Amino acid sequence: MARHEPGERRLIVKYAVLTLAIFLPLIWAFLFVRNLYPFASWNVMMAGGDLERGRSYCMLRGETISGETIDIPAINLTNALYSRTWTMVNATIDNQSFKLKSIHPQNEELIRQFGGVEKLPPGVRLTDLLQAWGSLYNERLPAGSPRRLKAIRLDMYRWESGRYSDYDKFVESWRKEL
Amino acid sequence: MAEGIVNRVVPGSAFALGVVRSIVHGTFLISILFTSFSALGSLPVTILRPTGAMKFLPWSFYDHLQTPGAMVTFKVVLVLSLVFSTAGFLTVVSTKTSLLLVVFYQGLLRSFGHFNHDEMLAVYYLVVLAFTPCGDAFSIDSGIKNKTRAAFAYAYPILLMQLLMAWTYFSSALIKLRVAGLKYLSTDNLPALAIFHSLDNLHDTHFKLAFWLPQVKAYLPFAVGFVIFWELLFPLAVFRQRWRWWILGFGIVFHLATLVFMNIFFPHQLAMYLIFVDWDRWKNRLDDEKTSNQISLTAFKKEC
Repeated sequence: MARHEPGERRLIVKYAVLTLAIFLPLIWAFLFVRNLYPFASWNVMMAGGDLERGRSYCMLRGETISGETIDIPAINLTNALYSRTWTMVNATIDNQSFKLKSIHPQNEELIRQFGGVEKLPPGVRLTDLLQAWGSLYNERLPAGSPRRLKAIRLDMYRWESGRYSDYDKFVESWRKEL
Repeated sequence: MAEGIVNRVVPGSAFALGVVRSIVHGTFLISILFTSFSALGSLPVTILRPTGAMKFLPWSFYDHLQTPGAMVTFKVVLVLSLVFSTAGFLTVVSTKTSLLLVVFYQGLLRSFGHFNHDEMLAVYYLVVLAFTPCGDAFSIDSGIKNKTRAAFAYAYPILLMQLLMAWTYFSSALIKLRVAGLKYLSTDNLPALAIFHSLDNLHDTHFKLAFWLPQVKAYLPFAVGFVIFWELLFPLAVFRQRWRWWILGFGIVFHLATLVFMNIFFPHQLAMYLIFVDWDRWKNRLDDEKTSNQISLTAFKKEC
């Protein structure tokens, strides 16, 4: 059997601890198929697509001072979020920040005003998000530019299930004057 | 014995581990340099949903942080720490501060949107590098004070990182088979998923190739099956040199395909493929070229 110097032995123990500290939570996350940040379960697209299930999606649009309606790629406004923008929007529409164990005090106040979480309209905080995006967009343009936005809106559409067609049935829209 | 096996499987030099440190920390540094933190700070704190460990922080903390000014300050600290750890300056400390700050930053992003696995592998690499001697070479520290250890000290962390990457793909395949089973190979799986991710304008890119997939949907179960097979085989990239570049090569094709068909891209995960490169061999090749160039130059000078 190989003999190790005390320094080497310490290194082996250290690396064994490091390996266990990383892999044990990962194996737990794998077994329970659960992401508990920073422990990840690689469940990306685990369920696959289902043609029978209808799906909703959103388009971010702006109404310019010159009267045009333009598509606004949100990725250009808040690039930090990059691939998470669409889920942030979905979660905001679903009022998920009101369904936490610990709710932000301002959201608690809003729940009180409406008389319960279930009474909140969909996307009750969406106007705040649209305001932030609209301001970011306008800040990047000169004060007199006709391309500046007078309003920004999020249009929701639904792709009905069962067919590879009819992708854009309009559902509803949220609009914020800037 | 185990040390011998580890040293045979992966390059065991301080240089190789130092290069890996620069790649991992440098990847985060580059992506953060091009990110607008003031825009991130403009998002309303009321839509934040702290996830996992981020729940331990109080709302008052997020209220103070989630402003353009505070986020720019956070970016400056993060960039400074990442510059130090990428360059290998005060490595013992800077790799740990970079780890903490990146874990917090990534947690904040996930508290706005969904979990998204792209950066997670690189985050685990930061954990490995924070507790291993990755500043002994290819670093500013090594120019100040030279330190050498047994090859195992440098080889094992690289092996651990390679195993982590193998785990991401291998476990992903197993989860798909566990959750969806053979239904995952249905003809509509890929077209339905790809089209859904191509409908909005909230994804990073707006490729429309997904709408072509229904025309070839009869063949797609074979493509999906091949991807699962490749994911299951990924551990061979660690132990079989001959298979490595085929497996990694297909990985590049796979991630580019998810970009153009699904508007989903994993750039951080792709950058981490570089840990499979034998950096010692590259260094030796460069050293040999340098030596032969010097010999030729000396001979040329003598002739003149």
